[in-house]
Amino acid sequence: MAADPGISLTALADPASLDQVHTLLEAVWGAHEDVGPTDRTSFAIAVSEIAGNIVEHGGGGQAHDFSVRIRVRPQQLEAEFEDPGQRVDVDLAAVQMPDALAESGRGLALALRCVDHLEYRRDGELNHWRMIRRRTDV
Amino acid sequence: MIDLDTDVDTDAAVIRLRGRLTMVNAAALRSTVTDALEAGRTRIVLDLSDCEFIDSSGLGAVIGGLKTARQAGGDLRIAALTAQVSTVLQLTNLDRVLRPYDSVAGALHGS
Repeated sequence: MAADPGISLTALADPASLDQVHTLLEAVWGAHEDVGPTDRTSFAIAVSEIAGNIVEHGGGGQAHDFSVRIRVRPQQLEAEFEDPGQRVDVDLAAVQMPDALAESGRGLALALRCVDHLEYRRDGELNHWRMIRRRTDV
Repeated sequence: MIDLDTDVDTDAAVIRLRGRLTMVNAAALRSTVTDALEAGRTRIVLDLSDCEFIDSSGLGAVIGGLKTARQAGGDLRIAALTAQVSTVLQLTNLDRVLRPYDSVAGALHGS
């Protein structure tokens, strides 16, 4: 069987594109109705937070696109992001949930709580994010 | 979409969020809360019954509204949470500072 190409989206790295990411997720769930509600909710939170991070911080004043590809595997959900924005200066191992009354800084901490694996790497001029959530519905 | 309903007690306002609360409309929520407070409506209830998704930016706007309301001598309460919003609140440990009310009426009149 050929490898599943997944479902992907390329859009402008702008907050308005977040709605397209949610539309993409709806398409994924529509094509994979077997994915349970807990996995859908948690995975959507993590995808939305990484997309939000890219469109909020990645621009550096230059308009550019980002892409996201989502694959539903029998045992896990995977998402891969790619964008040519600024390098992200983050140590995911050191990310912590901020104080209760903080008004920002929760995005990556929240994403980390929703997936089993999250990685970031800079490859040449591109940022890559990859996340995996092991399905709890199988 | 954010609807402001002031057809309640003179010192209260119900803000109804429909759809998603993300960085796209977080600023609009902040300004809606500020407008209500400046109009003397210091008891603010967020009706989340139709809010299908909240992200960390939306959550930041809710916390900002809570702080602004308290500084004005009032309070901001959240009511009728959907499953996704409840999940985000628990994952961020915010269910301790933002106690969810089952209904808008309960948030308006409960203690």
